[in-house]
Amino acid sequence: MKHLRGTMALLLVFAIALPQVALPANHREAPITALDHKADITDVFAFVSYGSNQVPGTRPSKVTMILNVDPLLEPANGPTLFPFDPEILYEINIDNDHDALPDITFQIRFVTEYQLPSIYTSVVGFGDNGANAPGTSNLVVPPQIRDFDNPGLNLRQHYTVTMIKHAVPGTYANGNIGGGDVVTQLKNSDGSPFFAVPANAGPRTLDYPALLQQATYQDLNVPGVSVFAGTVDDPFWIDLGATFDTANYRTLASGVPGVLTDAEDAGPYVNGQNYASDTVSGYAVNSIAIEVPIEMLTSTGKIEQATSPAATIGVWGATLRPAVTIRRSPLPALFGGGWRQVQRMGNPLINELLIGIGSKDRFSMDQPVNDKQFASFFLDPPIAHAVEAIYGDLAPGALKVPPAPRTDLLPLVTYAAPIAASGTPAGPVADLLRLNTGVPATPFQRASRLGLIGGDAAGYPNGRRLFDDVTDITLRVGVGGVLIPAFNKFPNNRLGDGVNVNDAQYRTAFPYLADCPDGRNRRHVDPGEPGGGPVS
Amino acid sequence: MKRSWPLLIGVFLCAVASAQWPTQAQETLTPALQKIAAAKKAIESAPDRPQSYNQLAIAFERRAAETGDVSFYDHAEEALRKSFSISAANLEGQKIRASVLLGERRYQEAVEQATAVNKLWPDDVLVYGYIADAQMALGNYAAAEEAAQWMLNLRPGNIPGMRRAADLREAFGDADGAAEMLSAELVQTAPTEVADRAYVMTRLGRLQLAAGHLNEAEKLLQQAHDLFPNLPYTLEVVAELRRAQGRLADAAQVLNQLYLMNPSAEQAYKLAVALEREGQKNYTQSTYREFERKAWQAIDRSANANVELVFYYVDHAGKPQEALQIAKTEFSRRPNVYARDAYAWALAANGRLAEARKQVEAALEVGTRDPGLFYHAGVIATQSRDPKSGAAYFNASLDVNALSEFAPAARQALEKLASAPTIASAGK
Repeated sequence: MKHLRGTMALLLVFAIALPQVALPANHREAPITALDHKADITDVFAFVSYGSNQVPGTRPSKVTMILNVDPLLEPANGPTLFPFDPEILYEINIDNDHDALPDITFQIRFVTEYQLPSIYTSVVGFGDNGANAPGTSNLVVPPQIRDFDNPGLNLRQHYTVTMIKHAVPGTYANGNIGGGDVVTQLKNSDGSPFFAVPANAGPRTLDYPALLQQATYQDLNVPGVSVFAGTVDDPFWIDLGATFDTANYRTLASGVPGVLTDAEDAGPYVNGQNYASDTVSGYAVNSIAIEVPIEMLTSTGKIEQATSPAATIGVWGATLRPAVTIRRSPLPALFGGGWRQVQRMGNPLINELLIGIGSKDRFSMDQPVNDKQFASFFLDPPIAHAVEAIYGDLAPGALKVPPAPRTDLLPLVTYAAPIAASGTPAGPVADLLRLNTGVPATPFQRASRLGLIGGDAAGYPNGRRLFDDVTDITLRVGVGGVLIPAFNKFPNNRLGDGVNVNDAQYRTAFPYLADCPDGRNRRHVDPGEPGGGPVS
Repeated sequence: MKRSWPLLIGVFLCAVASAQWPTQAQETLTPALQKIAAAKKAIESAPDRPQSYNQLAIAFERRAAETGDVSFYDHAEEALRKSFSISAANLEGQKIRASVLLGERRYQEAVEQATAVNKLWPDDVLVYGYIADAQMALGNYAAAEEAAQWMLNLRPGNIPGMRRAADLREAFGDADGAAEMLSAELVQTAPTEVADRAYVMTRLGRLQLAAGHLNEAEKLLQQAHDLFPNLPYTLEVVAELRRAQGRLADAAQVLNQLYLMNPSAEQAYKLAVALEREGQKNYTQSTYREFERKAWQAIDRSANANVELVFYYVDHAGKPQEALQIAKTEFSRRPNVYARDAYAWALAANGRLAEARKQVEAALEVGTRDPGLFYHAGVIATQSRDPKSGAAYFNASLDVNALSEFAPAARQALEKLASAPTIASAGK
């Protein structure tokens, strides 16, 4: 004992003497996810579902939530392509009582199987009947992959979706299901597994649209719920190169870099075009989509009017990996449980553009309810000062940003107007994607890429749709301060990267995502190319 | 002038102590000395860069670890003062300051310093390590665990995190789990970091020793010694191994060598206990006197030997009241398992058995599987007329380590309990 105690001092001196040692919206946004691409969340979307023939004012009935991971997948990059990681626990969390704690969690896990272990690639297919060894009936290449039973889908993934309604708010963290939680395993009504759509290797190998259609599961044991997972077109768009060349945006018709003219800015999303290169064009991403009846998400179990405090929910995605814990079984783990969170995301670009580099991993791995520790970044974003300084040099006096504290940004990190109804508890400062489920979806043909600041009440930051231009919105709201009337003026309200639309067509029904670019013919639109805008 | 035994024979023993295993001459500078040289060179070429002084401070810290010489922390402090004079707010310097405070055992200040740095730089894994170290020393095990878990979560497989995990697993009684972490740490530690590798091997050796696997312990300690001769921590565990092997004179020799390297009160106490065990009565008394004198000099300092002084006053000097006073003060400063155990032991020596039992049981609740702790709990329970619990604790002490320094006393106590059924039944 005495020996041991004395030894502690020596233990300690040696311990302390150890060597001192992203975009679509969130790609590679923190040191740890820059290393762990599979767990890197690129985007989280949550919006009131809509249809191709949406009528204005239609009463909302469902919410679609999408969690995208694994950024900038080059669809030509075989042979193994881009499976989900079976060791990752993927989560979509919902707070419906405004305390920034999860009340409902969807957990998604994947299983990988190989159907042809001796084949050199994860997908292989040819024609209607495949190809035999010359002069024999020995099938060497299976037929084009048009369904999930085709052995040419060599690397095949299926997955589970578990819905957890938490019994005791505030007790859930790090993937551990607690006693009393209501756990529902979502299943196809016929008991068949959910398969994930592989990346689109090319037209010879597979019929991607057919697979996507089959992998859109809508006849489940829980009525009204739909699920989808697979590799799809990355729905985000941005001039990524310009953004991370210290906001070196292109000079367009306005003559001021990163400032759009009214004409460039105008119109609903469907009429938009790009004036600069979409760096993400031609790239894919792994996506998980879940559509749920609204009454399954609200605290009241009802579809609430937009004016009801109970209508607004908070959504965030998370990725978790198995954790090594200080206490091993049977000792009870006091902290962390069996999983460690690698990343979480609510609003786009928060960690990417607001959080300091020395805090990004802690932000990724901490719970939203603890975000008060990052409030200084939210309420005095360093990027606003950086952009202001750059413009001060480029065009003196052209851009003034609001002074700190930026309380105008509170709607992004608390339950507040104009998203949440009057009387909604603000809750703690927390990075959640807040969605007023009572606001009817805007018909796709009329929807503005600028969301709320474009006069479209169903768009970001009231939830987030695939086609919301969060780069421009963030520049205008986060940097320009346009939620403050005095700052809602030129050029603050025309800040933009010049990329206004996605390179691929979104679907107008669940899962809304566009087809994965095919690996043989994909195109990345670069500056100076047709549709890529200027180099300068 | 009359000199104490250790110093008289020290020169001789310095040569023979390492004869436990032949020591190869160190032809190259140790990693810490290399770092000191590099940092000084950097300062010469750019004296206005705080980073160079920070590196020098780190190098001095490492030298303290290599030698056991705490005066290197003074050098580290001096280097940091220069660093802050160039840039008062440099975060790297603030971080190193936390580790220097730890080395100086100024745990509360270290927690405050590290927490302040953590708020500004929450992704820095090592800062969580400093928080974990300091909280553990202060007896705040839950806070230490939380900080260490952040280390494992933020950077899975990081060496400082694995080391803290090993520390806490051991504190929570999970020796196998600690060994698992240390083994992983050893795999990841660069071959050039010989002092670090020797340290980890020594810890693994100590775990083997604690489990009664003397041959395995011997091999690991030999490897550690070959890798980095005379690492203080290795010598300390070697001394314990020699005692367990019954080589009491060798144990005393090694401890004397340690005392010569670092003539602190703590080392004096360990040496005195070893000499007493060996039967060196004269030298024992003079060394105890030396210990007591040094312990009183340091009694109000952060780096003190107060726990040793408590045990000395209770077990050797017959001064239970003094022991209790010191134990109470030390416990109020750092209520960790060891300070709590000493406090319980002092309470028992003063007849305050109910309080003693409460404290020793609270110490046991942490989970630490320490033969001394169980032995003390056994004595206190027996004295409290609970022989059943006493026997259970004595057996636990032997289960943890049948070759510990407490094992003979635990066996004797069990025999005594077995031969006194009336006492045993009185506790039922």
